[in-house]
Amino acid sequence: MRRTSGKLFHALGLTAVIVFSLFPFYWMVAASFKTQPDILASPPVWFFTPTLQNYADIFADAKVSGAIVNSLIVATSSTVLAVALGAPAAFALARYEFRGKSDLWFWFISNRMISPIVLALPVYLLAIQVGLLDTHLVLILIYLTFNLPIVVWICTDQFKSIPADLEQAARLDGADQFTIFRKIYLPLGAPGIAVSAIFSFIFSWNELLYALVLTRRNVQTAPVVATSFMSGYELPWGKIMATGTVIVLPVTIFALIVSRHMVRGLTMGATK
Amino acid sequence: MTFLRLDNIKKTYGDVPVIKGVSFAATKGEFVVFVGPSGCGKSTLLRMIAGLEDVSSGHLYIDEREVTYEEPAKREVSMVFQSYALYPHMSVFENMAFGLRMAKRPEAEIKAQVAEAARILQLEALLERKPRALSGGQRQRVAIGRSIVRHPKLFLFDEPLSNLDAELRSQMRVEIAKLHRSLGATMVYVTHDQVEAMTLADRIVVLRAGLVEQIGTPTELYDKPANTFVAGFIGSPKMNFTNARVASVSGNGLVLEHPSFAGGKLALERPSASGVKAGDTVIVGMRPEHLTVAPAAPVLALTLDFAESLGGSTQLYASGEGDPVIALTSGRPDLKPGDALNLGIDPAHIYLFSAAGLAL
Repeated sequence: MRRTSGKLFHALGLTAVIVFSLFPFYWMVAASFKTQPDILASPPVWFFTPTLQNYADIFADAKVSGAIVNSLIVATSSTVLAVALGAPAAFALARYEFRGKSDLWFWFISNRMISPIVLALPVYLLAIQVGLLDTHLVLILIYLTFNLPIVVWICTDQFKSIPADLEQAARLDGADQFTIFRKIYLPLGAPGIAVSAIFSFIFSWNELLYALVLTRRNVQTAPVVATSFMSGYELPWGKIMATGTVIVLPVTIFALIVSRHMVRGLTMGATK
Repeated sequence: MTFLRLDNIKKTYGDVPVIKGVSFAATKGEFVVFVGPSGCGKSTLLRMIAGLEDVSSGHLYIDEREVTYEEPAKREVSMVFQSYALYPHMSVFENMAFGLRMAKRPEAEIKAQVAEAARILQLEALLERKPRALSGGQRQRVAIGRSIVRHPKLFLFDEPLSNLDAELRSQMRVEIAKLHRSLGATMVYVTHDQVEAMTLADRIVVLRAGLVEQIGTPTELYDKPANTFVAGFIGSPKMNFTNARVASVSGNGLVLEHPSFAGGKLALERPSASGVKAGDTVIVGMRPEHLTVAPAAPVLALTLDFAESLGGSTQLYASGEGDPVIALTSGRPDLKPGDALNLGIDPAHIYLFSAAGLAL
């Protein structure tokens, strides 16, 4: 009896959390299919005739599709680079003893202690100096500096959880360091690498502050364009929500693809 | 012919010496067991032979070639880990093939070698499985299979059976012994279990605190332990020790005094103990399995504390003045706790050690 009621409360609690966290998402998606009067109606309209006009409008606007392409370029590049550079670094931090290791580790962590806005102005001035303002590269580089610590943290932890015996067995089997990394650590560290890739991608995809500061016309990313609708004399909620939905879509798809690798117990059976 | 040679091998971690100078040689095809209590450095020694730990000083030779500073893979040794260390994301076949793939052997040879190892270890039906779908004993077999496919010069085993249950352990022990016979390979095996050491070894190296206590065949260690440590470590249940006083010495014989002895005294012929003087303390060792109950000429007069029947045999825990004594006897003697217990022993089975613990 107690167990059933416990389960019931559990289910109720979970439902509340799910509704709470998904409702804004639902509201955005729903609004993107509504006409302006329906969106502004009070009390809110729950049942409405969906329209694709908002999507037609935003896709007709070259700015939006261009921005999504920009976002894809920037987020993908910075994620790929962060994982490609971060995972080997994490391997070294997880498995080797070398001088200054703890300092290096702290440096990686401290990178994320600084509030991004503190660095916005110096980075902006730096970008002007080196002539990188309004390029993909400047965003890729700046996101890389934010993503790299995340990848290093998560992957180091993941790699540490792989039994050291496996590496030694591979060494005796004749594998060199690179082979050990590629054949043992990458496949077994896949969950950590996947998580860090998702984090990197989402961060780069959603980032607004630096995207606003460092871009002008050429490489505006999706969040910048979405906010740009808010200027002027009207608030085209339908278009904003449609853009928002389109922005969320790739991240969701990416997370779903990558999450296949986030299985627990991957190292089961290695030892004992 | 010497095949594996350790020449004054030492290992220190920072300032802490772990291996304090081990010298030892094994011939080709020999089965050597390193045995000792935990922390004695036996695993460290094995890992130094494998090349997984640096040697702090000394020299290491495998097949007449110095390999002290050689990369692990170039030493042509294989190792079975206590944890098995199977690659969890690879099938049994790939686990065994990994070393051959690293050596860039042709695919046909890899297939043949793995098939051969699988046949020897009865793993044929499991080749496509992942390690997590195997039982402990099967994983152990795969770990052994992985080490035999490469035909290494030297097989190293680091407590390979300690994760298995008792029944499987004795079964695998027999299989390892068979494997050693059929491969004729040189094997070094680390264990803290003296039963494994006794049953598997051609020669046993007893280690304590980073030093070799004694090297010898299992029977040598049993019959002629060099000191009380080896005497107590080899044999189960453990040897009984009693500190006795030397009452008198005459010619080849000596008379020992201890309240537990029947009549308080024990006369022994022991020419090797010629250095002992009256008044010295010596340590008398008697193995539980050598003690007999209610003999014609009792040596120990004790009181029974309790008896453990093992079915076919009985383990008797007795005490007198001094340390408790364990005796192992066949059958089920009709005794109750508190009963007087006289124990006898063939004088040839009495071990004598100096007060410092060295064999006399």
